[in-house]
Amino acid sequence: MNYTFTLRTVFPYLGGLVPAAELTLTISVLAILISMVIGAVVAVMRRSRLRAVRFVGAAYVEVMRNTPLLVTLYIVYFASPAIGIRLSSFTAALLGISLNAAGYMAEIIRAGLIAVPRGQFEAATAQGMSVWQMFRHIIFPQVFRNIYAPLGNQFIAVILASSLASAVAVEEVTSWMETVGANSFRFFETFVVAAIVYVVLCQTINLARLQIGRMLFRQPDARR
Amino acid sequence: MSGSLVFLPLFLKATGTTIWLSWLALLIGAVGGTLIALLRTSRLWPLRVIALLYTEAFRSVPILIVLFFAYFGAPVMLGFDVSPFVAATFALALHASANMSEVVRAGIESVGAGQWEAALASGMRMREVMRHIVAPQALRVILPPSVGVYITVLKESSLASIIGYFELTRTGLLVRETQGGGFGPLLALAAIYFILSYGISLCGAALERHYAVGGATSTDAVVGGMA
Amino acid sequence: MNGAPILEIKDVVKRFGSRTILDGISLNVVPQEIVCIVGSSGTGKSTLLRCVNGLEDIQGGEIRFEQTRVEARSKSIKAVRMRIGMIFQQFNLYPHLTALENVMLAPMVVHGEDRKTVEERARALFEKVRLSQRINAYPAQLSGGEQQRVAIARALAANPHLLMFDEATSALDPETVGDVLAVMRDLAVEGRTMLVVTHEIRFAADVGTRMVFMDQGKIVEDANPREMLAHPKTERARQFFSSIRG
Repeated sequence: MNYTFTLRTVFPYLGGLVPAAELTLTISVLAILISMVIGAVVAVMRRSRLRAVRFVGAAYVEVMRNTPLLVTLYIVYFASPAIGIRLSSFTAALLGISLNAAGYMAEIIRAGLIAVPRGQFEAATAQGMSVWQMFRHIIFPQVFRNIYAPLGNQFIAVILASSLASAVAVEEVTSWMETVGANSFRFFETFVVAAIVYVVLCQTINLARLQIGRMLFRQPDARR
Repeated sequence: MSGSLVFLPLFLKATGTTIWLSWLALLIGAVGGTLIALLRTSRLWPLRVIALLYTEAFRSVPILIVLFFAYFGAPVMLGFDVSPFVAATFALALHASANMSEVVRAGIESVGAGQWEAALASGMRMREVMRHIVAPQALRVILPPSVGVYITVLKESSLASIIGYFELTRTGLLVRETQGGGFGPLLALAAIYFILSYGISLCGAALERHYAVGGATSTDAVVGGMA
Repeated sequence: MNGAPILEIKDVVKRFGSRTILDGISLNVVPQEIVCIVGSSGTGKSTLLRCVNGLEDIQGGEIRFEQTRVEARSKSIKAVRMRIGMIFQQFNLYPHLTALENVMLAPMVVHGEDRKTVEERARALFEKVRLSQRINAYPAQLSGGEQQRVAIARALAANPHLLMFDEATSALDPETVGDVLAVMRDLAVEGRTMLVVTHEIRFAADVGTRMVFMDQGKIVEDANPREMLAHPKTERARQFFSSIRG
């Protein structure tokens, strides 16, 4: 092997890495937020009394979880002009990732809802709370506790998924690696740098989630 | 979409390619994953740490950059070209092995300590314990989530299109270009993936019912991420 | 005892799909009465309670609480629920709130009372149920009996005109059953109006002013508890009381 690993060769390109990493983070954060909204709607749909509504919700989840993210991205990116909408690469990528992530988010939220015992709804109702009051004071706090950890994992999954945005011309970290690698031929070094960025992002989120969790849910241990 | 029907044989062939690629990657990943799982449960802590770092690394890194590295980096580093097929198989197998190692580890750990002790006490060697006692039981726990991993690999195989491999997604994009752009071929693409993936998950569910063992299911949370 | 009924249940029918759970129930409760409903499991006792505060809807008959018609899905149900306190078999305390917060929530959020007033009342209620030292504990840190006493305080905090107990002691260890029954006894002595579904026949005989025996969705007997136990009028009641005595 005539190749020597020299990290120094990548240094001139590190300036471009910062905006790329920003883009990765931006897309991921926005995608998580959007997917939470869509996911919450779908989760509630799946608990509806109407069979048709439940079916649509379930269908959404199954479609998003059984089609590759790349295909979803291409459909949003290429097909939106066909229905008359002009989307920037960033928006198309964001939309595609959000729609896909919402499929997973819906299941996380649905599991969180199911984990709240029926008695909670009954006690709140029996006390005269309106649906909104019940949701705000009793249900939401418990659902949030239930979904907190899976949410953290989903955030990490979205960070990794954001790398596919490079396929629709978004200049995030993976795209940086491609471009710099092609320009410098130092593929190993660029790979290592890109990998480090992702690992740092993911592990930081993990640690932050654990730490914030400890602060938020500061309940002493259960008796039993 | 009327023109697309002409391309049906092409789509079928491409579907076969996708299935073949995924299956190969899964197989290699399963073997690798088992090795890693054995390292993870080894008595020697350096081996455990190495295995842990391996799994954590591949679950914190997007498969796409591994793919690019394998395809573009290899010629420069190794001096010979790597076909998209080889690069894709390599990257997919690597990721699959990280996921499979967790699945296999759960399977091994699901066999209670009492079984180990009883088997060892009766004079069996480690290898024999593994083969006759642990493996059969572990397999029942491993099979259902493996279906989930396979589905993930199937979806990830679409990334091979980016480096030019003619699997399903690339074929779909090509058909779309010849048709002058538009919805049809892309929707057909999505439909084929959906049928494959959903169908396999139904088989996985049937497998689960057949084995009727508690523990990880093929639809459990983020085995393999969002693909 | 005041003569006008606080609760009127007239010919109530409740079905779940094709199964009829309540088959023409008629029952009136007058203020300060302690009505104990007994019977085998599955005879609709809990369901009856749940129809009174609209947790379940009814397919026939009518329920009136303080002259207001009880209709499960109407706007008027809120006023009814604000004046009825319910204590559940599984306690149903809110796990993410402390005992004190559990008790204070509904008066502030549903009744719109100010925090200071509610907190004073809550602390007094904790004194009453003998749990003042546990007000900052979370439900997970409390025993079953303690949780149920907090649940009683929670129901009392909203100044209810009627208290409904749905097998309040059935999920408790035998040792703690006594603590909860003692609190219920105190409430009865105070002059509260109580509708109690229970398996504790002795409690019903000691504390109840009336015992209602239900079987297969119907009220079979309705009389003074000591009377009913000494001289049950129907065969079904006789069977029931002798079987549990054993």
